[in-house]
Amino acid sequence: MLGKMERSEQVLKVGLIGNPNSGKSTVFNQLTGLRQKTGNFPGVTVEVKEGRFTLPKGQAVALIDFPGAYSLYPTSTDEKVLVEVLANTSDPNFPDLLVFVADVTHLEKHLLLFTQVLDLNIPTILALNMSDVAEAEGIKVNPTRLSAQLQAPVVFISGRTGENLPQLIQAIEQLAESRDPWKSSFYKMNNDELRISEAVCQNFACTNPYRALLLAHHKDWLRFLSPAEHATLDTIVKTKQFQSLLQQVDETMVRYDQFTPIVRDTVQQPSVFPVTATDRIDAILTHRIFGPFLFLGVMLLVFMVIFYGYEITGGWVESTMAWLIEGTETLLQPVSAGWVVDFITKGVLEGFKGVLVFVPQIALLSLLIALLEEVGYLARAVFMFDKMMRRFGMNGRSIVALISGGACAVPAIKGTRTIGNWKERLITILVTPFISCSARIPVYMVLIPVALPNANWWVWAQVFGAMYLLGVLAALGSGWILNKVMKSREATFLALEMPVYRAPHWKNVWLTVVDKVANFVSGVWKPILLITSALWFLSSFGPGDVAGKAEQSAAEDIEAGIAADSVRGDLEASYRLEYSWAGKLGKTIEPVIRPLGYDWKIGIGILSSFLAREVFNSTMYIIYSLESVGAAEEEAAGDQSPFERYSSLKDKMAMDTHRDSREKIYTPATGLSLLVFYALAMQCMSTLVVVKNETGRWRWAVLQFVFMGSLAYVLSWITYMLVNLIA
Amino acid sequence: MQRRHRTLPELKASESAQAISFTDPSLACKLTAMGVLPGAIIEMVRKSPFGDAFYIKVDGIRLALRSEEAQTILLTD
Ligand SMILES: Nc1nc2c(ncn2[C@@H]2O[C@H](COP(=O)(O)OP(=O)(O)OP(=O)(O)O)[C@@H](O)[C@H]2O)c(=O)[nH]1
Repeated sequence: MLGKMERSEQVLKVGLIGNPNSGKSTVFNQLTGLRQKTGNFPGVTVEVKEGRFTLPKGQAVALIDFPGAYSLYPTSTDEKVLVEVLANTSDPNFPDLLVFVADVTHLEKHLLLFTQVLDLNIPTILALNMSDVAEAEGIKVNPTRLSAQLQAPVVFISGRTGENLPQLIQAIEQLAESRDPWKSSFYKMNNDELRISEAVCQNFACTNPYRALLLAHHKDWLRFLSPAEHATLDTIVKTKQFQSLLQQVDETMVRYDQFTPIVRDTVQQPSVFPVTATDRIDAILTHRIFGPFLFLGVMLLVFMVIFYGYEITGGWVESTMAWLIEGTETLLQPVSAGWVVDFITKGVLEGFKGVLVFVPQIALLSLLIALLEEVGYLARAVFMFDKMMRRFGMNGRSIVALISGGACAVPAIKGTRTIGNWKERLITILVTPFISCSARIPVYMVLIPVALPNANWWVWAQVFGAMYLLGVLAALGSGWILNKVMKSREATFLALEMPVYRAPHWKNVWLTVVDKVANFVSGVWKPILLITSALWFLSSFGPGDVAGKAEQSAAEDIEAGIAADSVRGDLEASYRLEYSWAGKLGKTIEPVIRPLGYDWKIGIGILSSFLAREVFNSTMYIIYSLESVGAAEEEAAGDQSPFERYSSLKDKMAMDTHRDSREKIYTPATGLSLLVFYALAMQCMSTLVVVKNETGRWRWAVLQFVFMGSLAYVLSWITYMLVNLIA
Repeated sequence: MQRRHRTLPELKASESAQAISFTDPSLACKLTAMGVLPGAIIEMVRKSPFGDAFYIKVDGIRLALRSEEAQTILLTD
């Protein structure tokens, strides 16, 4: 079912349909404002929005925003959804009436789908959109005449300025209240079509001849048909030798022949299409040489905004959470047991923080991408990079996801919904997390200087760049491989309309951002809370009296003179972690990660990184008994250059040795191997949850986890061996 | 013998020609629905940076097509 909105019997279901870029979403936003929810059509990852408003006389309306489509002979999953609903009168989303949004500046093209819908016997209002543009371009329309010829109400509106929207609402009310049966029809079927339609009608509860014809055309993929119904249709099509594709083209041409004169009669267009601003802008933006560079420039800008946004908002989230945690502690400490306070502050609130840190990034990224989409630029990027991305099993739209992945994979993966072909979309989703996201940066900042203590700043910066390059290569390489192994029968199309450049409509942009953030939070908070609670449990409890043992070990160390009394608290925290289940787990996996050069402490670091990769640093602070030092260093971090941060941690790490062999843990080989591991492994639970949500199955998330993990393991191992060999 | 018609990819940048028919019915369906009709004048605006895709203009509508898609459009000479 759609979203979580309850629809009672009395609610009027109004479907909003039209070609892509006709301004459907704008009209939808105008009519419903914030009273909207995004959901998926059952069984497919096609997004649908449902909004609410009330007609003047009090009738409640559920407005369903269907995906844009060019005709009822669909080529993409998006378009198919529309046919599946309109061809099935018992579908829960089957509308009581339709509002068809058409761009009046290119009316002819839009009337194809409109006249098809007319033949389905659903009351339909034609909303001629973009009246403001029509006026500016000198296009004159006669709505009354058009309405008479098409036998349907016509309203001339502007989604942008809001012109005539009250009339549209009134037209909906009139049509809803009307007692006259709706009986518009447009297309006269030819003999072949009639025979098929009649045959279908004899076997099915026939609601309408054209709907019957559609069943025959689309029998192979309509999911509401039972196997028996499918077989019946198969027989009908075979015995009557129905040539579906040819008939579709025929029908389309006949419809054009029929409505072209109507458009000529009712819409006065300027005789030649002038060279417009859009053409002049495109001469530069899609230029064969400058175009790609300008795009990379734009993406770099997007990336930088998000990068700095993360630096700033990350700090806010950090201080807000610190404040919240402190407050909770003082509030709860007197009234509840220690472990309860600990669970709430380190388990629940930590999970809350895990969700919260992503919110500003998602908001910023969806803001910028929505802006680029609104002005019409994204379609150009798709055109320019389609060829290149197809070599790697993706399509032009994937480039936006990959580059957004440089900020954060979570919103990047959510953005892949614009990719029509399922295989190309899946590959994009699977490879995007290879791109180094902003959460990896703090880890790189610690590990690079530890791995190469004698190198200078310049070398470190190069290694840093190499980590990004590694991510890009891994993404493209795996795309190439996945493309070879995955089979898809779905045809892939580019055939894409490039919209006119327009100034953004801020209401659209704003509503998109709100929707994206709300969607993310509602999708991930449960699993994330679950995982953080589990991690909290693992690192707080262990076999036996963990706290007692830790206290004792710390006391022994201090007595033996290994540590000063002043760090007793930190020392105890470190031992507590060591004796906990997490510590045990770290030690259990040590044999597995030892070939890469890691010890059990790094094991714990890797495990805890599932919260978010940057948690590696704070875990290391605890392990090296630097918990209190860490907080101070975090605070001072703002004034230092990136590689100078976390100095006490880096000093400690550089000194540490393996317990058995007494060799240094952080040799260049271990450090570089760990860097490769962090660049390639899938260590982000939010991403995994989003991948599951977007693909509909845990299967793909698990596959991705295993694939990225194996690749990371093998390449880290090779790195470790190679560097050891050279050194 | 039938004369071979030109196809869309053979147009040079900013050259125009009239479409006569399509060779692939399923693409024909898509293209006609997007406003590319037999008889329409198609202008080749430019080719994509990495080749293999075309920016065309038909009746004031701007479209991007892959070369496989463009090859199915036959033109008059
Ligand atoms: N000038 C003007 N622009 C409009 C009007 N309605 C929509 N637009 C703009 O047209 C563009 C496309 O509008 P959308 O509402 O996203 O179109 P859509 O039909 O939902 O497109 P898809 O989301 O691709 O299906 C946006 O840039 C809108 O701001 C209008 O009445 N006048």
